[in-house]
Amino acid sequence: MAPYLLHVIERGVEDIPTGVIREASLPGRCCASSPRNSIRFPSRFILLRLSILPHRSPMLLVRWKPVLHCPPQGHPRRGFAWPRGPRRSLLLWRPIRSPAPAFLSISSSKFSQAGRARVRPIVRAGLAQTPSLSDVENAEILFSETLSLKRSQTVEGKIAVRLDPAGAEEEVSKWRLTIGCNLEGKWTMHWGVSYCDDLGRQAFEWDQPPPEMRPPESVLIKDYAIETPLKRLSSQSERQILHELQIEFDSNTPIAAIHFVLKEEETGAWFQHKGRDFRISFTDYFEVDNSVGGNQGFSIWPGTFDEISSLLLKAEESTSKKDDPDDEDGNVVKQNRCIAPIYKEFPILKEEFVPNHMTVSVRSSDKTDKNIVQFDTDLPGDVVIHWGVCMDDGRKWVIPSTPHPPATKIFRQKALQTLLQPKADGLGSWGLFLVDEGTSGVVFVLKLNEYTWLNNNGTDFFIPIGSVSSTTAEIGSDDIVHEQQAGTEIHDVRNSLSPNNSYPLQNKSLEASDPKNINMLPMKPQGAQEAKEAVAYTDEIIKEIRHLVTDISSEKGKRAKSKEAQENILQEIEKLAAEAYSIFRISIPCFVESVSDTELMKPAIKLSSGTGSGYEILCQGFNWESHKSGRWYSELRDNTKELSSLGFTVVWLPPPTESVSPEGYMPKDLYNLNSRYGSLEELKDLVNSFHEVGIKVLGDAVLNHRCAHYQNKNGIWNVFGGRLNWDDRAIVADDPHFQGRGNKSSGDNFHAAPNIDHSQDFVRRDLKEWLRWLRKEVGYDGWRLDFVRGFWGGYVKDYMEATEPYFAVGEYWDSLSYTYGDMDHNQDAHRQRIVDWINATNGTAGAFDVTTKGILHSALEKCEYWRLSDQNGKPPGVVGWWASRAVTFIENHDTGSTQGHWRFPSGKEMQGYAYILTHPGTPAVFYDHIFSHYQQEISRLISVRNENKIHCRSTVKITKAERDVYAAEIDGKLAVKIGPGYYEPPNGPTKWVVAAEGRDYKVWETS
Amino acid sequence: MEVGSAVKRAGAAVPEALLPSRSLGFRDSIKARTRTRCVGFQPPASGTWRKRAVRVARKGAVRSEAVLDEKAPPPMKKKEAGPVRLYVGLPLDAVSDCNAVNHGKAIAAGLRALALLGVHGVDLPVFWGVATAGDWTSYLALAAMARDVGLRLRVSLHLHAQRRPRLPLPESVSRAAASNPDLLFSDRSGRRHPDCLSFAVDDLPVLDGKTPMEVYEEFFQSFRFAFSDFFGATIEDITIGLGPNGELRYPSFPPSGSHRFTGVGEFQCYDKYMLADLKRHAMEAGNPFWGHSGPHDAPEYNQSPAFGKFFKENGGSWETAYGQFFLSWYSGKLLSHGDRLLSVASQVFGDLPVALSAKVPLLHWWHKTRSRPSQLTAGFYNTDGRDGYEAVAEIFSSKSCTMIVPGMDLSDRDQPQGVKSSPESLLSQIMRACKKHGVRLAGENYSLVGVGTTAFRRIKENILAENSRLDSFTYHRMGAEFFSPEHWPLFTEFMRSLMQPEMDSDDIPSSGERLSVMDAVPANDREMQTV
Repeated sequence: MAPYLLHVIERGVEDIPTGVIREASLPGRCCASSPRNSIRFPSRFILLRLSILPHRSPMLLVRWKPVLHCPPQGHPRRGFAWPRGPRRSLLLWRPIRSPAPAFLSISSSKFSQAGRARVRPIVRAGLAQTPSLSDVENAEILFSETLSLKRSQTVEGKIAVRLDPAGAEEEVSKWRLTIGCNLEGKWTMHWGVSYCDDLGRQAFEWDQPPPEMRPPESVLIKDYAIETPLKRLSSQSERQILHELQIEFDSNTPIAAIHFVLKEEETGAWFQHKGRDFRISFTDYFEVDNSVGGNQGFSIWPGTFDEISSLLLKAEESTSKKDDPDDEDGNVVKQNRCIAPIYKEFPILKEEFVPNHMTVSVRSSDKTDKNIVQFDTDLPGDVVIHWGVCMDDGRKWVIPSTPHPPATKIFRQKALQTLLQPKADGLGSWGLFLVDEGTSGVVFVLKLNEYTWLNNNGTDFFIPIGSVSSTTAEIGSDDIVHEQQAGTEIHDVRNSLSPNNSYPLQNKSLEASDPKNINMLPMKPQGAQEAKEAVAYTDEIIKEIRHLVTDISSEKGKRAKSKEAQENILQEIEKLAAEAYSIFRISIPCFVESVSDTELMKPAIKLSSGTGSGYEILCQGFNWESHKSGRWYSELRDNTKELSSLGFTVVWLPPPTESVSPEGYMPKDLYNLNSRYGSLEELKDLVNSFHEVGIKVLGDAVLNHRCAHYQNKNGIWNVFGGRLNWDDRAIVADDPHFQGRGNKSSGDNFHAAPNIDHSQDFVRRDLKEWLRWLRKEVGYDGWRLDFVRGFWGGYVKDYMEATEPYFAVGEYWDSLSYTYGDMDHNQDAHRQRIVDWINATNGTAGAFDVTTKGILHSALEKCEYWRLSDQNGKPPGVVGWWASRAVTFIENHDTGSTQGHWRFPSGKEMQGYAYILTHPGTPAVFYDHIFSHYQQEISRLISVRNENKIHCRSTVKITKAERDVYAAEIDGKLAVKIGPGYYEPPNGPTKWVVAAEGRDYKVWETS
Repeated sequence: MEVGSAVKRAGAAVPEALLPSRSLGFRDSIKARTRTRCVGFQPPASGTWRKRAVRVARKGAVRSEAVLDEKAPPPMKKKEAGPVRLYVGLPLDAVSDCNAVNHGKAIAAGLRALALLGVHGVDLPVFWGVATAGDWTSYLALAAMARDVGLRLRVSLHLHAQRRPRLPLPESVSRAAASNPDLLFSDRSGRRHPDCLSFAVDDLPVLDGKTPMEVYEEFFQSFRFAFSDFFGATIEDITIGLGPNGELRYPSFPPSGSHRFTGVGEFQCYDKYMLADLKRHAMEAGNPFWGHSGPHDAPEYNQSPAFGKFFKENGGSWETAYGQFFLSWYSGKLLSHGDRLLSVASQVFGDLPVALSAKVPLLHWWHKTRSRPSQLTAGFYNTDGRDGYEAVAEIFSSKSCTMIVPGMDLSDRDQPQGVKSSPESLLSQIMRACKKHGVRLAGENYSLVGVGTTAFRRIKENILAENSRLDSFTYHRMGAEFFSPEHWPLFTEFMRSLMQPEMDSDDIPSSGERLSVMDAVPANDREMQTV
């Protein structure tokens, strides 16, 4: 009976068109129906029924996989994000101590997708209170925005392992092992061998393969393993991807087995076989289940790789040949080694990102005084909008007035959850909400299933309703999937179940076996009851373990029982851990669970483009000499971990393009990324390794000028080559050296090379394309823009909007004002120019705070610390006016290093860092200082900054600015003084303790 | 105490003797079965590994019996049976500073999960400042929770204060310290360390006419009285906190942000009483000038040894006669504090069927320099050519005290460059000293932060190492992070891999359906070949 049912379920999923699923009745009817009928019901209801069946017929018990390691389908990286998907939903439905979860064993991928807790009331279009589409069609659109969403999805693929003879007829000992994988990605095989010992038995350690066996690209990883990349085969037909690696070896080498795991470099994921290494064993001495080969025979897998199947035939032939008793090549070692052709495939799952869209439009309704908000998305499956409205200017979530759209639940009196209706064409879903005229906006996040939420880069989506103009910028585009922890929403499932629920038994089991209810709904009277039941349940499990212990040794007859108990245990452990986690989390301030109260009410830190998270610390990852070795990219790669542990979040890499000068600032062919710092491949590796340690990477984009490839007929170098083969129209007209035919420059001229005329459309188009290409090809997250004084900031805005950098900073460097060689106290004109530039970019990029550096020079060098406060008692640099766009620094490759154009007062560097690393703005630390004796002090200051959560918009209160000492309090959390003079922060209500100190500076934090 | 330890040793001898025959038997059965097994564990690499695996198995069986019949067996017996008992630390603030159980529900659930997972017991941190008025109800409640799910207890009696979470010293002590700040440790620039009382006042009647040692003893007695029902059956082990952070050391580095701390630390000998003692000592040594102050040329907390002359690699003051004089006095004060406190503890607890233990820090920064400054400032006179841990092991040995060493998860490779750190070689030095003096060793992880797969692998290596002397391992610490989906699966897998050989043929499904706890182990970001 059991197998029959399983079949039914699988067919049920396949055969029933979606329409039928929507129309199907609720569980009651399923129960009444006979098993034979069940095929007509949608899979999710079958699920429910099945979970009860075992009560009636315990014979149905099928062995199922333990919950601890759920079946792989549909779970990207499941080991790390355990409480997700079907498993969790199963937990909910499991009746007390019933063997119900049996149905888990039959989870094919289809099944589990269908089983993903979609037990929600189904909406029918056209119910009361729902404005219909026709209502909406002619209404005036007040606002419309398409959001792009990124969702993770698991793709299934295969790893194929093939072993076949490689040599010609006479070279029987030559064998070839082929590992193939048909998923997109950058695959590497991490492998080793084990050798036979003297008696021909095999050892089990990993060992390095003999040199002749290693393919040429192999890299030694450890003394027992090597890594070899898989090559992408181009010969495959277009939709077939195949990565392959071939290892040739001689069967006379005393290798007992080859072990390997596969690694996907882009995601860093490891792939193994049933939780352990793949093993290809060549001995029959000690057979382990895991071994892929040996003399177990092989099977031909029909399908995917046509080419392989034909090869397989060859393999077969050679097998028969090998089995021939006349074969003379057997030697002593071979007596218990046995190499036979193998071909096997193993399914694997990999996580990939899938883009989706959601369009939100606001229309005014002419029938009512309400606005209609329409959501339209191509996200597959059920999409729940978790939403609320805002009144006035605040961002506080308020529940909209009734009536609510159908299929809406109120979530903890804080928000509504509305299930969108499937679209007629089956591709996505939509919904219409009525919102009162008085509301200022709709805030929402999307919920795809219990554990997957989509939000707007960590904040909520916000749709303005009242005034359309103000807030559109808030809608980010680079959205990522947020996976929320289990346990947050589980009670919804129950709520949605109970109205239709005709089984008291099931309902009860639900409450009892789901301790999260207690946690989630502490106010409900049944909470205590549930808690008791849950405890009672665990007690029983523990009792069961004890019985198990007594039983285990004696009887085999109780096998089933023990297994059942064991599975219950595994499940119980996971459940308890999830419970403990959810409660512990609550006791920590600031965590995801309380999103609806704390997180949302605090003024959300506005994520503007180009400024990163606001908590960035920049590292200039090179100096003027870095090109000398010719392999800077690989050298820097050794330091990625250290930079990350020092606390840096963004690194600025040198200009990557081919350049006339080795430092890279005289670019020639923009698309040639082989520079004196290393090759394109090395650059990509470097960027990847920075990403692995969580550091964003800025590319140094030189947009102001470009060196020409050819001379024109007058012998002037102004004709470009390479992919961007511009002519003299791309060069500004006002530099006589280069005879450009473009417009006049929109900024200052850089006289060493032709300046690019950004006013030309084709130039801008080409540059945008180039920048986008850089982001995609290299993986840059943002830009450091060279010499932006040379062209109008408005063009930068254009470039930034086209490339959407995570962080961008421009070099706007001109001179401060001096009177008779003495720097003026008031440097407002200087910083005004920088601020004007930032303004011209519309704030899409920040700028280096040259003003602050200049003022620090004077203040420190001449002991004039009073300079560090402007007339209004604010910091005197850009940081005092527009801190979030100021990138503070004290030295870079031009000012310091071996050029020393404007070197920071020697020996006072730490005072400078004490200033910029405690103050708002985004501090940048120069490479030479990081790897100097200052490292520890800098590292200390960074950790103090991070521990106290100082960010680029922190507030500064200057408490002292005198001749020999400057002191300030930042956000009330840090106090800092620089200068030789005396200062101690006042010990009033706040107690200050020293957090860092060094020569002439001291930093305190609140205790 | 003497009797107790003798019994323990005798107990230890018997199972060890029995072991070979048992393990042989099991090995045979492995052979017999292998062909029919469809899920097996990867056979171990060497004979010794095999043997150890079997010992783990035996331990599992014995422990189950113990669960069955809770009251009957004294815990001592099975302690020696298995190589490593695994504890998990409860949150430091499981009982808050106002003496109430914190996150009780979460702990209850967590304890159950741990019990089901097969964890041996939990470490309950008890703070002097919390249970000071003899009110033990909250701690008793936690102990009962652990007992009720069948977990054992190790109780850590902490005599220091904690900054995060805030757990202060007893109020009477704080008051005394407020009126006489010299009761607390002080550094060269006069900053006080509010974590613990200066070792120099151990025997001075500074706390309402009582000496700190007397007060510690009262505290121990009070604990003993309150927990009398738990000893033996539930409480197996008492850890004595010998100094700041519960470790035998001076508070030589600032407690805040100490995980980022990489400097050398500072000497803590500038309170009135320490200075007086130093002076007296200098007089006795016939060189009164040495007694005026601590070394003037030592660097500050976060500086590297290169600052100042004291720790210089060659020709630093530490190698001079003065340096030797000062360092041996300074480390001697630490040792005698540890010695006396452990004597007090063994007087109080000696007749109970519990083991004593105490924690020694793993000060691995700068271990690769000759002067090893961070160990010197913490009170371990362990320099090039002088083994400072021998003396420590000797004291532990004389009190039959287990030495707890953190940092089982650290490896040299992952340490930041430039601080010449070497946790591995320091650990092996400590282990050598323990072996020489017959001191039992217990391990801890350094921190949950940053514990990833590699750290677990390192822990496992340490636990399963052939020459491992670990008889227990405490994993710190339960909390949100511990149960988080990033961490918990790693931990369960770690547990499972330790207990893997326990699988019986019964556990193996007969058909193609594979039941295996190792099935579908997350495939992400880990390397497989080590298990």
